[in-house]
Amino acid sequence: MNTEDLIAQLSQDVPPVRRRAVGRRLAIGIALGSLVSAVLVALVLGIRPDLGLAMRGATFWMKWSYTFSLAIAAVVMVVQLARPDSARLRWTWLLAIPVTLLAVLGIAELARTPPAEWLAMWLGNSWMVCPWLVLALAMPIFIGLLWSFRRLAPTRLRAAGAAAGLAAGAFAAMVYCIHCPEVSAIFVLTWYSLGILLAASLGALLGPRLLRW
Amino acid sequence: MRADEDVLHGLMVDGLGGDAAAHAALLRLLVPVLRGFYRRRANGADDDIEDLVQETLIAVHVRRATYDRERAFTAWLFAIARYKMVDHFRRVRRLHPIEGLEEVLLAEDFEPAAAARLDVEELLAILPTKQADMIRATRLNGLSVAEAAKAGGIGESDVKVSVHRGLKALMARIQGGAR
Repeated sequence: MNTEDLIAQLSQDVPPVRRRAVGRRLAIGIALGSLVSAVLVALVLGIRPDLGLAMRGATFWMKWSYTFSLAIAAVVMVVQLARPDSARLRWTWLLAIPVTLLAVLGIAELARTPPAEWLAMWLGNSWMVCPWLVLALAMPIFIGLLWSFRRLAPTRLRAAGAAAGLAAGAFAAMVYCIHCPEVSAIFVLTWYSLGILLAASLGALLGPRLLRW
Repeated sequence: MRADEDVLHGLMVDGLGGDAAAHAALLRLLVPVLRGFYRRRANGADDDIEDLVQETLIAVHVRRATYDRERAFTAWLFAIARYKMVDHFRRVRRLHPIEGLEEVLLAEDFEPAAAARLDVEELLAILPTKQADMIRATRLNGLSVAEAAKAGGIGESDVKVSVHRGLKALMARIQGGAR
């Protein structure tokens, strides 16, 4: 096609773009994906029966604060990597804050517990399935982010894929909290984080292939 | 109209505001900019360059939401252009990046150049040391006669005579060897 014709054709469709368009598009992708994950939890895994009671306790909010702050830190990275001129990634150290805080909490918890119960506390009842469920619930959110990226312009595809996987994993872990009855900080620190890391690794693996444009 | 940062930035911002005419003007101004960008960096047929230019125009159009009005327009544009070029090289093998080509040519030239150098050293070895040194200094290492004289601790006329005699002897030797 002639370049002049191409320009004429492209210029037919010039909708206004809002200032926070990148963030808005990412938010829509994440929200739709999280909704699908939440429905999956409700239908397949089941919402924990004592959710109303648990939401009045500190443990539930400890889990949500951890996963939510990880998710925010990951989204900060995704927003940067969604633009083509993302030469230097900033604010990556934000990820260290929730991990450090939860680790401190976990150590305090261990100090209060007799060593004989440590293993049971660490493994809980669901350590074998928890990371895999988080990874599975991350898939709809990751797909939502792939949709967001169709109008965005990442140039570092592996990094963008990893950040998208991290964000998807962290939001998935948040959704998973409405099912999971585990209470200990070291359980969350190990097995939730492992699921989130699996999602980030998968994102890094698939990024170069799925995010090409 | 000259396509500089301020003009392009202004048109882009207007285009993001929904002004189709500004958007069209922007894309038109980008055509020569992108052609220049790709010609300097890629060695290929004009058709390939034009394909790249068009792909980049489409990307600029489809992904214009990723432009941050507070940042430099050309940085954003060239980041997209560079990405499109790398992606194009990966997909289409017809185009070759000039940088890569230079390395290939250098590697190919190295061997004959090194061999020629060895031949010269072999020939110089048959000359008296002074003549060989002066030929090396003035003809191989690029020193001027004055610099060579200073470096060798001899007079300028001595340098000239040495080089002249040395080259004459080499010529005789090469011609004699050829016969």
